[in-house]
Amino acid sequence: MTDFAQVPLPRPTALSQPFWDAANEGRLILQRCGACGVYRWTPQILCTACLSEEFSWEEVSGRGTLYSYTIVHRAPLAAFETPYVLATVELEEGPLMLTQIVESAHERLAVDAPVEVAFTRANEAINLYTFRLS
Amino acid sequence: MNGDRDIAIVGVHATRQQRKSGRTLVSMWRESILGALDDAGIPIEEVDGYISYMFPAGNGMGWDDGAIAEQFGRPMAFTAQTSGAKAVLLAGSVIRAGLAKVVIIPAAGAQSLAGDMATYTRPTFEFTEWTGSMTPAQYGIMARRHMHDYGTTIEQMADIALNSHLNAAVNPQAVRYGQEPQTRETILNGRMIADPLTQPMCSIVNDGASCIVVTSAERAKDCRHDPVWVIGGACETHGNSYFEAPSLRMLGTRDLMIDGFRRAGVRHDDVDIVMCYDHFAHGPIVQFETLGFCEPGEGGDYVPQAIRPDGVHPSSMDGGNMAYSHNMIPYNFKQIEVVKQMRNVVEDLCPGWREGVHTYDRSICRKVRDPKLSVGCGPLTDARHAFTILAKD
Repeated sequence: MTDFAQVPLPRPTALSQPFWDAANEGRLILQRCGACGVYRWTPQILCTACLSEEFSWEEVSGRGTLYSYTIVHRAPLAAFETPYVLATVELEEGPLMLTQIVESAHERLAVDAPVEVAFTRANEAINLYTFRLS
Repeated sequence: MNGDRDIAIVGVHATRQQRKSGRTLVSMWRESILGALDDAGIPIEEVDGYISYMFPAGNGMGWDDGAIAEQFGRPMAFTAQTSGAKAVLLAGSVIRAGLAKVVIIPAAGAQSLAGDMATYTRPTFEFTEWTGSMTPAQYGIMARRHMHDYGTTIEQMADIALNSHLNAAVNPQAVRYGQEPQTRETILNGRMIADPLTQPMCSIVNDGASCIVVTSAERAKDCRHDPVWVIGGACETHGNSYFEAPSLRMLGTRDLMIDGFRRAGVRHDDVDIVMCYDHFAHGPIVQFETLGFCEPGEGGDYVPQAIRPDGVHPSSMDGGNMAYSHNMIPYNFKQIEVVKQMRNVVEDLCPGWREGVHTYDRSICRKVRDPKLSVGCGPLTDARHAFTILAKD
């Protein structure tokens, strides 16, 4: 299990600060285009579907499916205690999200399995959007 | 470039590829350029086009187009930043448009000093760095999805890696040459990096440089070797590797890739060599599907047999990214290996290789029989695709 207090932690930007503020309260929010309604991830200034500048941050379900995953046995930094699970999660709202799967037995992992956000607190300011099997 | 034989690769050179070489980027970069121009028989004074990624970073700021002109001590008519197949296609367009006459495409990398793992695929980015993402893990995610969607097996992927390792075992220039031999079993039982990918199913990490010289058919007449014609290709940029979540979206560009063959008037069945981009063991499977050599889902059965030196579309005859060289920007090597195979200048363990005499016995030979039409890929990953179609007379 990764000790998230020891890993390179996010340094929020002006664009991403609302996301991290919401995460700190245990809420997963995504940008949604004000023109075409498409959700996007990662945060971008313009819509990745229609280039609109209009967007709002909206709370999403936190539910999705396990698009795919890997169990990592050779970590880039010692703070990532192996084995850990790196995954692409497909959110109900559409976007793909790179994350870690936590609190889940590795033998139960399966492509397309339902997952849900399960925040892991790294420190007072940063609450990480890890996921677990539902 | 729609089947025309008006643009040619006339010079290629690769420096010694090795781990922890102790050499500087600039030194290897210089050697690769002078070597490729010597191979072409073109004096450096004729070079008026330069295409390369911003490596080597000589002044810490990268070598931008201004710094390149300063280095050569005179103006450059055309500069741009890319590498491999895309750079060759761009050079052809530039020469045809009259913007430059002789374009060099150097690529130098020295990444093994930083350790055993590539660092450039781990950007300082707030949505990836905390996850423990790194290159093999990203591609492990894609490999597993391909296995799920199409029933691709770990044994099929191991056989892809085995082809690269067997070829490197008879290529004295390969980084892994002379190391312990690999079998399907040693690959499957290798050190697990990011499952399903074991260490022998991943790219190696080393130093080295390479350079390609591209010019017009008219200038090629006076060059040292017969020209290798650039008769077609295609490219597409699909996304931002290592920043965004890995997926199999590259299969979505299939139609555009296949159109590249149609424009050149080339049937897939007529292609001999397909130097694909074997960055990880599943890579060639997905690439053959993306390029249209087989349908999505057929690659697992088709590719392991096809890419052997005696197969219908040999690949990675040099040992590829997994066993010849991954110097951070290995795209040029796919073009270079095609050129060497088509020129019949392939160093292996056959006693007569210097005279172009090969045994086609795989225990000592990695030569493809008489290739006339070839595909050189790279980059060809989840997010960036390019390939050339190369031909000889």
